[in-house]
Amino acid sequence: MMCGHCGCGGPDHEHEHEDGTRHSHSHSHAHGHTHTPTTLVELQTRVLAKNDAIAARNRAWFAGREMLAINLVSSPGAGKTTLLERTIRDLHGQYDIGVLEGDQATSLDRDRVAATGAPVIQVNTGTGCHLEADQVARGLNELRPAPRSILLIENVGNLVCPAMFDLGERAKVVILSVTEGDDKPLKYPHMFRAAPLMLINKIDLLPHVDFDVARVTASARDVNPAIAAIGLSARTGEGMQQWYDWLRREWTVATEAAFA
Amino acid sequence: MHELALTHEIVAIVCQAAGDRRVHRVTLEVGERSCATPESIAFCFDVIARGTCAEGARLDICRTDGDDLMVTTMEIEEAA
Repeated sequence: MMCGHCGCGGPDHEHEHEDGTRHSHSHSHAHGHTHTPTTLVELQTRVLAKNDAIAARNRAWFAGREMLAINLVSSPGAGKTTLLERTIRDLHGQYDIGVLEGDQATSLDRDRVAATGAPVIQVNTGTGCHLEADQVARGLNELRPAPRSILLIENVGNLVCPAMFDLGERAKVVILSVTEGDDKPLKYPHMFRAAPLMLINKIDLLPHVDFDVARVTASARDVNPAIAAIGLSARTGEGMQQWYDWLRREWTVATEAAFA
Repeated sequence: MHELALTHEIVAIVCQAAGDRRVHRVTLEVGERSCATPESIAFCFDVIARGTCAEGARLDICRTDGDDLMVTTMEIEEAA
């Protein structure tokens, strides 16, 4: 394994590989800096350890309330908010649904979701390109979702960073619209690997675009063989029932898991 | 862009462990599948470390083939 980024390209650069993945460096310095006596400290700390600990706490919080939390991720404009609006309206009376909206700025999406009557909290991430677990924790504190409810978290529109940050959700659901390229799963493999379900939205537009549903499904399965795919249109309602069936199965598992 | 948030976390981990002592070097492992770009972390590090115990510290980044992103070691000044 090369250490191409350590910037120490001198002949005195030594590697000691111990187990193949972890290796220590000893640098014999040819550099011209002054030597203060130093101590080497082993840290071995995952950078996301704090986020993951808060995510675990969120997950336990959801479990204690027998709730289902879903993290919706997509590119900007794939139709997450329209999907939320329709889902809330169609499932009205069947489930309590709360929404946590993440965007860099504005509360436009919150206002749209609020018009459905569902409780909704907007989390503005400012310069952040993704939601983090502690923003969700603070959002929950404000939203106070009901036991046995469904929490739909609309992440910031971005197919890169949200893949890295566990929020405590039961599952990530990635939404792709047919106006995007059908090679997206190959271009953003992390996200498609992290999600057990892909929703292909705006299928009412299929006659007008060069988008191959079979190809996108195959691409997604190249990176994640277990990913399920549902084609739907949040505008016309076509295919939405399959998404509701998926939600119902997940909700059933989440509410029963509390006693498992 | 999330490297900014990650680098904040890296500096926080290092400074918490270092206490008041000055940090001279930090070693990171960045997995190929970690979704983080070493160049971006290196770019952010100098700026974010400014004014902290890690100001001016050298950052060594090693690629691994896993999916983890870890602060593995640091060198700090010896206790007085």
